[in-house]
Amino acid sequence: MMAWIRFFLTAALVIAGLVICCIGVFGVYRFRYAANRMHAAAINDTMGLALCLLGFAVSAPDAFTAVKLLLVVVFMWISAPVSSHLLCRLEVETNEERAEYMTVHEHTLAEERALAAAAQTQIEAQKGDEQA
Amino acid sequence: MKRERPDVLIRLREELRAFLGGEQDALEERMTEGQVRPAAREAAAPDIEYRLMMENEALEAKRIAARLHEHNRREVSRAGRIVYCALCVMVCLMMITLLLYTMANLPAFGSADHPINNEVSARYIEKGLQETGAVNIVTGMILDYRAFDTLGESSVLFTAAMVVMLLLRMDADSQAYSPLARYVRRSQHADTFYEPHQDMIMQKTAKVLVPIVLLLGIYVVLNGHLSPGGGFSGGAIMGAALMIYVTAYGFDSIRRFFTYKTYQRIVLVALLTYAFSKCYSFYTGANGIHSVIPLGTPGAILSSGLILVLNICVGFIVTCTMYAFYAVFRKGEL
Amino acid sequence: MSVEMAYRALTVAAMIVLVALSIACLARCIRGPRISDRVLAVNMVGTLTIIMVSGFVVALGEGYLADIALVYAMISFLAVVVLSKVYTGIYRERKHEEARLAGRQEEASKP
Repeated sequence: MMAWIRFFLTAALVIAGLVICCIGVFGVYRFRYAANRMHAAAINDTMGLALCLLGFAVSAPDAFTAVKLLLVVVFMWISAPVSSHLLCRLEVETNEERAEYMTVHEHTLAEERALAAAAQTQIEAQKGDEQA
Repeated sequence: MKRERPDVLIRLREELRAFLGGEQDALEERMTEGQVRPAAREAAAPDIEYRLMMENEALEAKRIAARLHEHNRREVSRAGRIVYCALCVMVCLMMITLLLYTMANLPAFGSADHPINNEVSARYIEKGLQETGAVNIVTGMILDYRAFDTLGESSVLFTAAMVVMLLLRMDADSQAYSPLARYVRRSQHADTFYEPHQDMIMQKTAKVLVPIVLLLGIYVVLNGHLSPGGGFSGGAIMGAALMIYVTAYGFDSIRRFFTYKTYQRIVLVALLTYAFSKCYSFYTGANGIHSVIPLGTPGAILSSGLILVLNICVGFIVTCTMYAFYAVFRKGEL
Repeated sequence: MSVEMAYRALTVAAMIVLVALSIACLARCIRGPRISDRVLAVNMVGTLTIIMVSGFVVALGEGYLADIALVYAMISFLAVVVLSKVYTGIYRERKHEEARLAGRQEEASKP
């Protein structure tokens, strides 16, 4: 009985994980630009891997192996964002036609707000000049 | 909006057309392709004489390339080139068919009358645990029954690393090179000058990941006789940990604890330890003397005689070699 | 129908699906017009391989295969990181050289 419960839990988690992997691969084909494809690949790396490995860890031969599989999940969840970050830096720096589909903000949020506020005061000053 | 085309096929077609038209010799183009000296090195020139010398060298290289091109140009007709292409394809197809036919006629995997099931493997499997004390029979075989072979492998690794050092390494501090060569090597216009350095996300992550990976490597090395692993794979993992550290923090940072002297000392000590500890068993085995090293209980970590020590030695050698190759090929010096 | 047969069926089906997805990623690696597409596809193939190896842990009942999965995770991460750095460096060097050859002083002076 216990074995069947474990099997169904594993099957549910693994099938969910495989569905998400399929969605990820489908997204990599469907999106048109490399920067968008990175979103789909990251789905594969985090959610697909975590669900599948959780499923396998539930019915692992012994507890130590289950802990090892969970360690794989922890490692990938720490390292996959770093891979995506560096890959995105490569894409943003080396893509020369990126103005078609990407806007790159070169300032931080605080700097953008300061620039917007400065532009706003300048517009108001101009309006004040026109009215006066 | 750009839609991507199968440009691989277009490029293939163009290359085939160029080859058939006689404009391109297949081997020579590949050989002289990557020999452009990056012009950035000239900008580091301290004086005009160095710049003149570099330009002279560039002109010499162009003259030599032109003479090579004249010498290698083959006056083969278009028909000859078509025959050559057809022959290449036919030879490849023949080899593929031959290999597939051989594969199909091999004895079945795991059958009882397989020629690999002879008395040697029977002895290893039946008496392996009892004679070597290692639960992992493969480790027992490579580090006990056939340890001389593994010594040869470690020596080959050591020799390859030494040859790479001889050919590629340029010690910026040594007095054997001219001040100009040392300046060029030391200058910022090395290969890694243009790469993004000091990425904050990478550094914070490396701070967490490198200890984990090093621990994994040590675990795999120490458990060589209990589970699949051993010195070679554990050493590769530890080398990869060092590579992650170098990628995050830079070569100057790793030189605080891993220099060429460190590499020399670790590799020499490890190789000599391996050689001397295995000499012991050559002497006892050849003279029929019973070995006094206790085998311990199988399954414990302190068991199987010398295999633990040998695994650690091999692990150190492989770690240092992996990192040394990476550093020499990327930066030119260790 | 025993539990072993059920596990067998599940792992075989998972392997087939994963291999099909890997071949699809390989096609993306060949087709992708940019370098980022190709490195991305290689990373995805690595992730699918990790899932496959973990499937073998359950199928064969052996615990040491999880070590292989951990090692492979690390190797694929390292590969993506180093490749990104190297390609960015190559691109920047080429840009610097073109600027220097074209005589554009302001671009040639910055690193």
